[in-house]
Amino acid sequence: MTRSRDRARAWTVTGALVAIAAGGAAIAASDAVAPKPAAKAPAAPAAGPRTARDAAPPGRRLPGWNPERNAYFGDLHVHTKLSFDAYIFNVRATPEDAYRFAKGETIGHAAGFNIRLAGGPLDFVAVTDHSEYIGAMEEANDPSSPISKLPVVQGLFSPDPKSIQTAFNRMVEGNDAGTLPKEFSERRIVSRAWSEIQQAAAHNYAPGHFTTFVGYEYTSAPNHRNLHRNVIFRGTQLPDLPYSALQSNDPETLWRTMDGWRARGIEALAIPHNANGSDGIMFDSVRRNGAPIDRAYAELRARNEPLTEITQIKGTSETHPSLSPNDEWANFEIMERYIGFNKAVTKFHGSYVRQALLDGIELQEKKGFNPFKLGFIGSSDTHNAAPGSVEERNFFSKVGRIDATPAQRGSIPPDGARTWDGVVHDPGAQAARFQAWGASGLAGVWAEENSREAIYAALRRKETFATSGPRIRVRFFAGYDFPADLDRRTDLVTQAYAHGVPMGGDLLPAKGKAPAFLIWGVRDPNSGYLQRAQVVKGWIENGVAKERVFDVACGDRLTLDKASWRCPANGASVDLKTCEPTRFKGDVELRTVWRDPTFDPKQRAFYYVRVLENPSCRWSTWDALRNGTPPNPNLPATIMERAWSSPIWYEPRA
Amino acid sequence: MASVAQAAPRTARFDPAVRGLRRIAREPLVHFLIIGGLLFGGLQLVRGAQRPSVTISEQDLNQLVAYWELQSGRPPTRQELQAIVRDRVDEELLAHEAHRLGLDKDDMIIRRRLAQKMAFASEDLGAVAEPDEATLRAFYDRRRAQYPAPAHVTLRHAFFSGDRGAEAARAAAIAALARARRGEDPGGDPFLLPLTYADASLDDIERDYGAAYARAVRIAPLGTWIGPVPSAYGFHVVRVEGRQGATTARFETVRDEVRDAWLADRRAAANAAFLDSLRKRYRVVVAGQTP
Repeated sequence: MTRSRDRARAWTVTGALVAIAAGGAAIAASDAVAPKPAAKAPAAPAAGPRTARDAAPPGRRLPGWNPERNAYFGDLHVHTKLSFDAYIFNVRATPEDAYRFAKGETIGHAAGFNIRLAGGPLDFVAVTDHSEYIGAMEEANDPSSPISKLPVVQGLFSPDPKSIQTAFNRMVEGNDAGTLPKEFSERRIVSRAWSEIQQAAAHNYAPGHFTTFVGYEYTSAPNHRNLHRNVIFRGTQLPDLPYSALQSNDPETLWRTMDGWRARGIEALAIPHNANGSDGIMFDSVRRNGAPIDRAYAELRARNEPLTEITQIKGTSETHPSLSPNDEWANFEIMERYIGFNKAVTKFHGSYVRQALLDGIELQEKKGFNPFKLGFIGSSDTHNAAPGSVEERNFFSKVGRIDATPAQRGSIPPDGARTWDGVVHDPGAQAARFQAWGASGLAGVWAEENSREAIYAALRRKETFATSGPRIRVRFFAGYDFPADLDRRTDLVTQAYAHGVPMGGDLLPAKGKAPAFLIWGVRDPNSGYLQRAQVVKGWIENGVAKERVFDVACGDRLTLDKASWRCPANGASVDLKTCEPTRFKGDVELRTVWRDPTFDPKQRAFYYVRVLENPSCRWSTWDALRNGTPPNPNLPATIMERAWSSPIWYEPRA
Repeated sequence: MASVAQAAPRTARFDPAVRGLRRIAREPLVHFLIIGGLLFGGLQLVRGAQRPSVTISEQDLNQLVAYWELQSGRPPTRQELQAIVRDRVDEELLAHEAHRLGLDKDDMIIRRRLAQKMAFASEDLGAVAEPDEATLRAFYDRRRAQYPAPAHVTLRHAFFSGDRGAEAARAAAIAALARARRGEDPGGDPFLLPLTYADASLDDIERDYGAAYARAVRIAPLGTWIGPVPSAYGFHVVRVEGRQGATTARFETVRDEVRDAWLADRRAAANAAFLDSLRKRYRVVVAGQTP
């Protein structure tokens, strides 16, 4: 009995052990934790109503409305992670982040530090990502996406600056050779990015305070010669997808597409930039097909491109010292290399704006049409989603992780050295390209209020100006019947509008009268004082285009020499050990009414204003100062910040 | 099992050694070991019959060919196709073997990727429905402090340019203040910025005029000329006509932000809840910490 009871107990124990073991195994094998992931549905675009803040009803005026127009500052050239190059540069900031940055908030830089505008919020911004391969890099970097498996994608997303440059070059080569996969431009991907851009613009538009525009960059560069332009849309009437350079790299096709959009109620303008990197083809005398430009071309171009971006981080395209040998201030942030491709520019004619304006009036004179009647803006071209990040003292350059540090930008000696002794300057080296870049480019507009309608209208009528970064305000009018005491009256702007034309306009002849010009510049409270105001004139004399720079107002109550039309030197300089400017030099504002001593009512001409600040430290000098090393001897230690008004054209025969 | 039990008594009569065996045969531990051995042997047999397989499906093949065509712009030849498939099979074999050997364990990149996938999956599961208006208003009411509207001012001013020289500009402003307080026109220099502001944000005033000017405007008594007020441009005499202190933005003007914040809040709550449920399901042991 005992034995059988023992046996029974033993079997029970054995059975129990087996049961426990089996149960344990079963539990271990089962998928006890994971809820099955639901199939990923594409994110629904535009969830919920987004129209709460649409523009005020017509006729209602926004706070700040001013019939004499306010100066608003903005940036119409901004890249985010949706641009293929920015993404490769490790930038992950979104269009939403770009708008937050413009409003004065702090965002993260690709290299890990925080960035913020020192000079306060901007008034208006357009995010303008490259339409080519837009949004594709982010998708390619998602291991669960099919395009992440493509061979061309492998190694494209390294955090190492050398590999980033290689990856960027690989994309550029692939684009040239046309070997980049069609999947990069899949409608689904483009359309998702396009809708993210629209949503961020809608979400951040606050009429009266902050204006956003939907836009993109048309990235055409035949043989790497830069023909890029930013397309800016007036409102929320938009094409389904951007028209990109993958469809055609001939800008004429873009303009024709824009004409087509306009016929459907979609209003947009295109703004070419970096003429300096076009090697002579941005303002060429022939069309892309080699035929000389004609009236139809001129009208097509003028209808779609009223403006040009005259300055940005990759250099200033106003003029080149070789084109304007008598302009002592022409050598400002000149960049003589191709864009995104390491090659020297050799043709300056066709690459600079002043020459284009001259060519334009010459064409008007000889053939009766002018394709280059261009107003000016500046913008940054930031690829860090950081609009307005063009402050010398607070400059972190523009291409994410590859120029994030002073050492990468070549503003401090390499490898921790304390001097520049023995450092060889190689103008073709990567760092040399970044050294030649400037902290430059803001767009200024004169508009009644801070709204899409008012600012877009200002862009259309070219009542715009450009600055090299500071928020210098510039007024410019021309007229025949200004009151004699115009520059001393408190209502001078009312008078100027009543009796003249503002910047961007046409001045028609008035029999027996010579025009007067009102020039007025006011300093940026956060930047230097003003040294001089100038008028740049271009005209046709006996069939030949000529140019001349007149100083018209001098700071420090210095007397203008009317023989040479130059102000005497005001003695302002900068202490390079501290970047402190000489005290009590320069003016808060420069204001004058000027008459052109060379005015000839029969000569076709244009006039634009350039206002110069006293010298101040260039960004590279600030970098060196913070590092405790001398500034790079191959770079200018100081610059003269400046503002340019759009021209006024004198049209002797309308 | 029964045969063992029956055989034992028959042999028991002959030999003490056999008797010992009988006792051993009756031990439950021995039964357990034998059962275990049989199970192990059986499983090995079954495993041998079922070699693990690497399968390249029709769909995988099509995808491989499609990528190849994309890169080279033509379909692959027979040899090329073989090479593509061989590469893919090699990859699968290596991955399977690595998995079998546990090479995926203790790998930071694999762990992070899995954690990421899980986090996405849990977010997808808890899709948040669009909130109704009442929900949003209640949410906004709880967090009013997070929706500030900057102070606004309505003012007019007269300007005396710093280019006159600081002392001259200051003296001119003092004289103008006296005139203005007598009800006369204060005069002043032409000014490029507006001479009147209606409902302007004090933040913008500070950006355009500097901190000292903004501070003066923020505390000035209403309807009274004050000055001289310094700015980045010179001196001013200012009359603040109206001022609205910093307040809470109206719901209608920040509805989008409230909705975004509500959705973010819901997602954060859902993620936290999911992690809580995981904490309950797992015992977390961290060296040096008492659970």
